[in-house]
Amino acid sequence: MSAPLPLATDHPGQVAPAAPPAPGRSRRLSDRGLAAAFISPALLLLLAMSVFPLLWALYLSFTDYSATRGGPAHFVGFGNYTAILASAQVHQRALTTLIYVVGAVGLQTVLGFTIAYLISRRTHGRGLLTTLFLVPMMLSPVVVGLFWRFMLDAQFGVINSMLGSLGLGQVEWLTRQRTALISLIVVDTWQWTPFIMLIALAGLTAVPKYLYEAASIDRASEWFRFRTITLPLVWPLLLIAVLFRAIEAFRLFDLVYILTNGGPGVSTETLSFHVYKVAFLGFNTGTASAYGILMVLVVIVLTQLYLRYLNKLKED
Amino acid sequence: MRHTRRTRRMPAPGRKVQLATAAMLLVATTVAACGDGQDDGATASAPKAPATIPELTKDPLTLSFIWFDWPPAHALEDFANAEYKKERPNATIKVNTVPNANWHDAMFTQFAARKTDFDIAILDSQHIGEAVTNGNILDITDFVKNNIEVEAYNPYLLAAYGQFPQAETGKRDENASLYGLPLLGDTWTMIYRKDLIGDKPPQTWDQMISVAERCQADNPGVSGLAFHQANGSDAAAVTYNTVNGVYGGNLWDAKTRKIEGVLNDAAGQEAMDVLVNKMKPLTAKGSGNWFIDEVNAAVAQGKACIAFNWIAASGGLLDPKQSMLGTTREQILDKLGFATLPSQKTNLVPLGGMGMHVSAYSAKDNQAEALNFMKWFERADIQKKWAAAGGVPSRTDALESPEFLNAGPFNQVYTDSVPRMRDMWNVPEYARLVDIENTNVNAALNGAKKPKEALDDIAKEQQSVLDSSSRKGGGGL
Amino acid sequence: MAVSVDEAVSAGPVRDHTPPARRRGGRGRSVLEVALLAVLAVVMLFPVLWMIQTSIKENRDVYAIPAKFFDFQVTMDHFKDVFVASGGGRSALSVSFLNSVVVAGASTVLATVLGVPAAWAYSRFAVKAKKDQLFFILSTRFMPPVVVVIPIFLMYRQVGLIDTKLGLILIYAAYNLPFTIWMMKGFVDEVPAEYEDAAMLDGYTRLQAFRRFTLPLLVPGIAATAVFALIFSWNEFVFAIFLTSSDDVRTAPPAIAGLIGGTTVDWGLVAAASVVFALPVLVFAYLVRKHLVAGVTLGAVRR
Repeated sequence: MSAPLPLATDHPGQVAPAAPPAPGRSRRLSDRGLAAAFISPALLLLLAMSVFPLLWALYLSFTDYSATRGGPAHFVGFGNYTAILASAQVHQRALTTLIYVVGAVGLQTVLGFTIAYLISRRTHGRGLLTTLFLVPMMLSPVVVGLFWRFMLDAQFGVINSMLGSLGLGQVEWLTRQRTALISLIVVDTWQWTPFIMLIALAGLTAVPKYLYEAASIDRASEWFRFRTITLPLVWPLLLIAVLFRAIEAFRLFDLVYILTNGGPGVSTETLSFHVYKVAFLGFNTGTASAYGILMVLVVIVLTQLYLRYLNKLKED
Repeated sequence: MRHTRRTRRMPAPGRKVQLATAAMLLVATTVAACGDGQDDGATASAPKAPATIPELTKDPLTLSFIWFDWPPAHALEDFANAEYKKERPNATIKVNTVPNANWHDAMFTQFAARKTDFDIAILDSQHIGEAVTNGNILDITDFVKNNIEVEAYNPYLLAAYGQFPQAETGKRDENASLYGLPLLGDTWTMIYRKDLIGDKPPQTWDQMISVAERCQADNPGVSGLAFHQANGSDAAAVTYNTVNGVYGGNLWDAKTRKIEGVLNDAAGQEAMDVLVNKMKPLTAKGSGNWFIDEVNAAVAQGKACIAFNWIAASGGLLDPKQSMLGTTREQILDKLGFATLPSQKTNLVPLGGMGMHVSAYSAKDNQAEALNFMKWFERADIQKKWAAAGGVPSRTDALESPEFLNAGPFNQVYTDSVPRMRDMWNVPEYARLVDIENTNVNAALNGAKKPKEALDDIAKEQQSVLDSSSRKGGGGL
Repeated sequence: MAVSVDEAVSAGPVRDHTPPARRRGGRGRSVLEVALLAVLAVVMLFPVLWMIQTSIKENRDVYAIPAKFFDFQVTMDHFKDVFVASGGGRSALSVSFLNSVVVAGASTVLATVLGVPAAWAYSRFAVKAKKDQLFFILSTRFMPPVVVVIPIFLMYRQVGLIDTKLGLILIYAAYNLPFTIWMMKGFVDEVPAEYEDAAMLDGYTRLQAFRRFTLPLLVPGIAATAVFALIFSWNEFVFAIFLTSSDDVRTAPPAIAGLIGGTTVDWGLVAAASVVFALPVLVFAYLVRKHLVAGVTLGAVRR
């Protein structure tokens, strides 16, 4: 963003390969020029594709602009913001999103850590196991969404079919208020448990062996060892994984779009999905921009938290 | 951080640069947006198409349509390339298709971009208001006057796919402007299992429900009814609107723009009660997100006694490869019957189908070709050929022709339904109105809301959308 | 003397050295753990296996109740349908796969070309407010796509990039750039700066030192980074569905999503398309398995 502005006018090029490097000041200058020349194209792309659009959205968020209706945009001050913050519709989506984020991330943390812990205790086949567990994470959300929709179908889906063989009744996975949100959480958990597992595993394998050995001489109980050695050492990394997932889950759109389309009613509409409806059903671009900016603020807070822990981890 | 460990705070000069950049960008944005605004002001109303077709180009030309992905879209492309090419060898027809769920968005985002990769938009009848108000499609009133035999159609069909402001149900206002011509007619058909409930279809809605009830009780594993309940597209909304019409309700009072108190009057409440408390219990478990394809699948798998679906989407039911009902078309037809919808207090049926609308942003040559295509398409002989190719025509002579009536077992149903049709609102706010209705009806069908509460919410929220023009900010929530 | 970047960062979890001490405590417990792990593995993998199975089933068997696990007719028709249109010729799906290849490939190249030099510069030079810049870069990646797509849409409409491959390529490149920079910076950090210093004492310029000595050592890292970028843009859905509409531009994810919502759903075809679509990703992911931790955390966590 604040890359030194004197751009690379001095090209230390391939013209004179054997030329001795100029000493002192001028060499430092050429370094700065080089740095600027190397960094600024990347920053420019980010400015054009990320920062500029967001500033544009910020501007639009104070207007009643509509992308299709046309006509000049009128300033409405904070009208969009107050309307959004006061809207019961928005509150409902915020609650749904919160339940979803907490539920999904919580579940995948517990599961992911469990799997990682179990794997870390195996001597053989760890590579294979890890690779197998990672498959869901690599799939496109589109594929995951479509396929789970097929498997969760109440009539001919394989899940209900198996429940039927066990003598249990059919469950309306995607069409009941409670089960639909649970289904969403389950599918997200299925896809992203491997993520937590992977990070946790990285943390677990990094725990120095001698710590365990020392503990086992002390005849410490397994639980005690886990609590006092494993968890504290893995925790910082795990926290980062959790925050990362929380940010991603907060942004969730595609899975909802494909799996439930927000239904039944609007009970699985997340904030992202609601923004989409405001933006593309009524083309209320101004409102949608304000809504988006508010979401971005939440993301920024989460990201700051994430970066802070990341920083701490790096410094340790 | 290999070299120097910097403090976390950005040094003051950096900040200034940052601020300056931000300010510059903001100014640039404002200018861009304002420029955009002026641009829009000039084209606020729909531009007019010429009254006569301009001279057509002799160069190769591709005439593009946009529709959603379903069999009629492929039928149209094949048909037009086979037949239209005979008249215009240099023209190629391309029908771009998008997923159904994305259809409205795909067309209107391109309209919003003021640049379309299609020349003819195949708009749902209810999309007209939005497109006209935004100036996205051509006003073809004069063109129609000079080139189309309007008396060859049931007036409401012309009105439904072309007129804005909307016509009264069953009529056409000859002084109103036209923006489109019918491409594919459609309505719901009742699909019933002759082998389970007999050859004679139920005549009233109440009768239909009791027949379904008995059928479900007699045939374990087969549900009494199957119909659209999904919260996407216009699925659940059309279902409620159909029952609403049959039970004598109204969607709104178009003159006073009143929904509150009209939609949720006694008749509306009764319709919601019938739908949720009498019809829903007869459907399969977990059918609360069913739309066209799931209903078709249920019928083809032999899991429904009586089903409702769009006629244009019913062709697949006769395909033995997809069906458990028989190994030949004849065997399937021994079991499946198609009938017009039962009536109750009224005999209204939902108007479906789509019209052709010329994009205001396509090139002059393409617009001329599009008009020529439309004129060609509405010719008596072509309408019959379209019928034979699997399409649903709109001209009365084509609808009554053997070419059409013999092309499919449900075509008679369409012809009989034409005088009974009713459409939803085609106002610019359509997309939001239908979303409100869809989600609330879907919620009621799936027990997420009480039926009465859902209907009152629909009326209240839809009313606020219609009244929202005076609000300061927060439109669209 | 040359340090393989590959080895330098290979502390990934896939390698099974450093087995934790086996407890003497209980064979029984160990069996229990293995059993639990097996159950979890089955649960996690079942959907994938079911997808593969559905892709080779006849449609009748797909809808069978109760579900058929073993006794079904194997057919390859669905895979044929993925590539060949019903009337012969290329199917729309196969065109979308091709579009995906072009868009993902080009955006990856762009992100790499812009990102690698930037990462090197961030690693080697004392750039002003480096940390802030790096964190700013990473945070752009966390913006909700649905939010970003609104102004991007308006912007693209001004410059005519709606429904073009170039538009998608640019947005994907911007989406992958933060990741590329973070990931590559880690790799550059692993290569001692002394190599370049030594080369410069020999009379090479900084740029030449970078090109001749550091860059070759970075190749494995660049490959890994590029593969991840490829995977991200290959799987991306939100931008694709809102910024494209025509068959010639549409990438595979929206095309696959479009398989449902017509008049009939051919789940066999959906499954086959999903398998074909997922296969390259899985192969790629396997190739870069050593860098998975860094890859999936956008280069932020390296262990």
